[in-house]
Amino acid sequence: MIKKSRKVRDYKELTKALPTLRYLEPEAVYIHLHNARCKTYDLFVKEGDKVTLGEIIGERHGGFFEQPIHSTISGTVGKVSKKLHRTGRKVDCIEIKNDFKETFHESVFDRTDNVIESLTQDDMVQILKEKSLVGLGGSGFPSYVKLATKEKIDTVVINAVECEPYLSSDYRLILEHPGRVIKGMKYIMQALSCKKGIIAIKSEKDPLYQVLTQVIKGRFPDLDIEVKRLGNHYPQGWEIEVFKWALGIDIPFGELPMKYGVIGFNVSTAVGVFDAIKHNLPVTKRYFTLTGDAIKFPQNFRVKVGTSVKKLIELSDGFKNEYDEVLVIMGGPMMGVSTVSCDVIVSKTTTSVIVLQNIDYEEEPCVRCGSCVYSCPAHLEPVQIMNAVKRNDKEVMKGLEAFRCIECGLCTYVCTSKIHVTDYIRKAKRLIG
Amino acid sequence: MPKIIRKTSPYLRRPQASVTRMMRDVVIALIPVTLFAIYSFGLSALYILLASVLSMMITEYIYYQITDKMNGEKFKLKNESFTLYNFSAFTSGLIYGLTLPDSTPIWVAVMCGVLGILLAKLIFGGLGQNVFNPAAVARVLIVVNFATIVNYTEHVDSIAGATALTVTNVDLFSQAASTNYGLLNLFTGIGIPGSMGEVSVLLIVIGGIYLALRTSFEVRIPITYVITVFVLASVVALQKGLGIWYPVYHILSGGLFFGAVYMATDPVTSPITKPARIYFAFALGVITFFIRLFGALPEGVVFSILIMNMFVPAFDYFKWTNPRFSNKGNLIFASVIIITIGITMVGAYYVG
Repeated sequence: MIKKSRKVRDYKELTKALPTLRYLEPEAVYIHLHNARCKTYDLFVKEGDKVTLGEIIGERHGGFFEQPIHSTISGTVGKVSKKLHRTGRKVDCIEIKNDFKETFHESVFDRTDNVIESLTQDDMVQILKEKSLVGLGGSGFPSYVKLATKEKIDTVVINAVECEPYLSSDYRLILEHPGRVIKGMKYIMQALSCKKGIIAIKSEKDPLYQVLTQVIKGRFPDLDIEVKRLGNHYPQGWEIEVFKWALGIDIPFGELPMKYGVIGFNVSTAVGVFDAIKHNLPVTKRYFTLTGDAIKFPQNFRVKVGTSVKKLIELSDGFKNEYDEVLVIMGGPMMGVSTVSCDVIVSKTTTSVIVLQNIDYEEEPCVRCGSCVYSCPAHLEPVQIMNAVKRNDKEVMKGLEAFRCIECGLCTYVCTSKIHVTDYIRKAKRLIG
Repeated sequence: MPKIIRKTSPYLRRPQASVTRMMRDVVIALIPVTLFAIYSFGLSALYILLASVLSMMITEYIYYQITDKMNGEKFKLKNESFTLYNFSAFTSGLIYGLTLPDSTPIWVAVMCGVLGILLAKLIFGGLGQNVFNPAAVARVLIVVNFATIVNYTEHVDSIAGATALTVTNVDLFSQAASTNYGLLNLFTGIGIPGSMGEVSVLLIVIGGIYLALRTSFEVRIPITYVITVFVLASVVALQKGLGIWYPVYHILSGGLFFGAVYMATDPVTSPITKPARIYFAFALGVITFFIRLFGALPEGVVFSILIMNMFVPAFDYFKWTNPRFSNKGNLIFASVIIITIGITMVGAYYVG
């Protein structure tokens, strides 16, 4: 197979058409207290305290920002324990036992449309900062930093491409709450005083196109929002690819898209913005896909942030019996992190857990077919970087710009010899650091 | 409760991608050519093909048995580094066999087959590590060492010996050559002497189309290669006032198509990026045509492939390799094309 091929079989049919299962009353939630961006934290509550939904229970300290931690249910604070996080590391998690009352904290209130219309960019940035909204597509980058940009923005792009195979949480989110997506988008456009908006979807997701165009036409006729159907290839959801296909803007490596007058938000983040601005609510719930070929009943869930995945796997009737070895992957099967146990919590940025049967692929010698070079979305030469890693030749790794790799995994996917090329590139990135 | 394994992303692989599939496709694409060779040259063709394929496969098998033994493995019929399953040695052997003339003695075919795969592939480290195309090396060993034994008694030859092209080489620009063997006959291969697999351009093109549809080879290489030879021959034809028959004759004769489709496209011995593959094929075309026009040999396909194989690492050198076409690269390439045409015209002026 010597060709440029960015088509990845998407397996979304497993969960795409299934209605979302609501599981909003877990017995307890576990809220992680630190993550990859924020290494340290302060805890404001102690064991036995009563907390309400939306109450601030602590604060994470990042490099250049503070992030309040909110309780996602009302109940009693339990112990701090170590649980697996999306990054595959064990992190401190605080347990909150549910009292099933859903008492809201007094900070949670609805803003009327008139009030919202009078909000300025600084007001909104302040709200998002207080509600600790981050990029919910998986980046975890604080959204208020992005929204506080001083550049002149012409276009707001909402990324609803969801190019990773198996995932369908964003798909269900748009299908079930298109109004929230567009309202969130409206607020972002208002904050950035920008007139034009684009929602980028995959062209094969025709239902989304119909829903969104209908909602825009019927309920928001005065907004200039266009639904763009982009190609079906992987990694179409990479921000740079979205801008390139939706707007024709080529953003060079290392430059911020804001400089070019565009800003991108994930569709879940747009809904997060809506919740924060309209209801003054932090992210307490999220759409979550539990799927894969080794789980009995793949399902979309709407869960509280902090729910244990173990519980959700039980709800899906557990693993299939015919496989002896399975992989539990947080995130998509191309870029996600594999974990050692299913004792994982759903954090704000966890889009899915995928359970796949473990297949050990037999590697053959590289025949230099060039598929990885043809397919690389960052226009690198993975095979040459791999050979440089084998020789431990750092000059070549730098010369081939290995640091530009986005680790999308496509080189491994297309490899004729089934070599794990991406691993070598990761090693190269570490070596030249 | 199944065991949970930890791995690194991505966890999916493209199901249809495999080396075996790629190599097997080459063999399938060669089936019409092989059948035609057996049809036109009879049983002797079959024996030579068998000898060349088996010599390469058995050499590879024995070589890996020995290396495994040296690494302390126990003897097993299907040994640790068993590589015969992926058709790579079979493909090399078949391509090599098809470039031989039908009068080749079996022992010559076997000897050069063994040496070819050993010197060109195995001692470099096996599949994927070789610098030179094993089939081309084996063929050149015959040209260089056994030229007097392997000649074309009743016919004229091809890839590196004497083809229909020999006639042209002697009497460089006369149309008599092409009237000897009509262009249509050269295309279909009926009644044309030469190496066994190289006579029928039609069947080679069919194989090439199959490979292109299966994306099992880089289609840019043969296309650029043939176009380059055609354009350069056209330049000469225009300069000398020859008809269109001259460039057509050049591309149809002498194993150009066979070399372009099956030998130059070997991924292991061609550059890795799209632009570099086009430059590589262009250079192949230029060298082939220059050997034909100025060289002592009437044919230059195999030699040009071996010469360009040496330059593959230079094409892939990290300081200038680029997976995309750049303006700078296009500019340099365009000037190289113009310079080449200039050299061809000057050279043809003196040759004529």
